[in-house]
Amino acid sequence: MSIAPITPPMSPELAGITGVTGIERPTAKPDLAGTFRAALEDAHGAEHRATDAAEQFARGDTGMGIHEVVIASEKANIAIRYATTLKNKALEAYRELMNTQV
Amino acid sequence: MSTMDFFTAMEVSASGLSAERTRMNVAASNLANAQTTQAAGGGPYKRRDVVMQSVDVPGVQGTPFAQAVKGVAVSQISQDTAQPRLEYDPGHPQANAQGYVAYPNVNPVEEMVDMITASRAYEAGITTMTTAVNMAERALGIGR
Repeated sequence: MSIAPITPPMSPELAGITGVTGIERPTAKPDLAGTFRAALEDAHGAEHRATDAAEQFARGDTGMGIHEVVIASEKANIAIRYATTLKNKALEAYRELMNTQV
Repeated sequence: MSTMDFFTAMEVSASGLSAERTRMNVAASNLANAQTTQAAGGGPYKRRDVVMQSVDVPGVQGTPFAQAVKGVAVSQISQDTAQPRLEYDPGHPQANAQGYVAYPNVNPVEEMVDMITASRAYEAGITTMTTAVNMAERALGIGR
C-alpha cells in the first residue's frame, strides 16, 4: 500500500504563488523603553513646573495667576497619566505573552 | 515636550486667559479711577486700554504648525488720548481759573461692557481648555 504524497493545492488561482516578496523587516525597532523614559521625563518636568507654580503663587508672585497654577497641575496630571497608561499597556502586553499556553 | 501636542491648545488658552486677566485689571483700574482728578504726572487719570498681540506658543517651535498656531499676549497698555471731561465746580481744589475741574475720560458704562467682555472671553478660554483636557483624557482611555 502506498501513501500519496501531499501536494500543493491545485486550484488555478494559487498555482502561480510561490512566496511572499516585497515585505521588509523594520530596521529601526520602536523602542518601548525610550518612549517610556521620555514620557516619564515629561511627567517629571511637568510635576516640577506645577510645584514651582504653586510655590510662586503662594509666595505672592505677581506674574503667577490662579489659572496658571491650575493649568500647570492639570498638565502634570495628564503627563503622569500618559506615563502610567504606557506602563499599563506594556505590562498588559507582557502578561499576555507570559500567559501563552504551550 | 514631543509627546504632548495636547498641551498646545492648553498653552494657547492659557495665554488668552492671562490676556483677559490683564484686560480685567485694566477695566478695574479705569472704573476705580473714574473720578480721579489728580494722577501721577499731573492732570486727571487717563483711561487705559490694552493692546493685544499674537505671539508664538512656547513649546511648539520647530513643528510645521508653529507658525500657524498663535497665542495672545498684551503688547502694551496704552493711554486714551481723548479729552478729559470738564465739570463746573469752582470750590474743587483742582478747579482751573474758569472754575472747571478736569475729570478722567472714563465712561463707566463702557468699562462695564469691557469688563463683561473680558469675563465672557475668560469663560470661553476656560471652555477651550476643558475641552482640550477632556480630549487628552479620552485619548488616554482608548481601549479601556
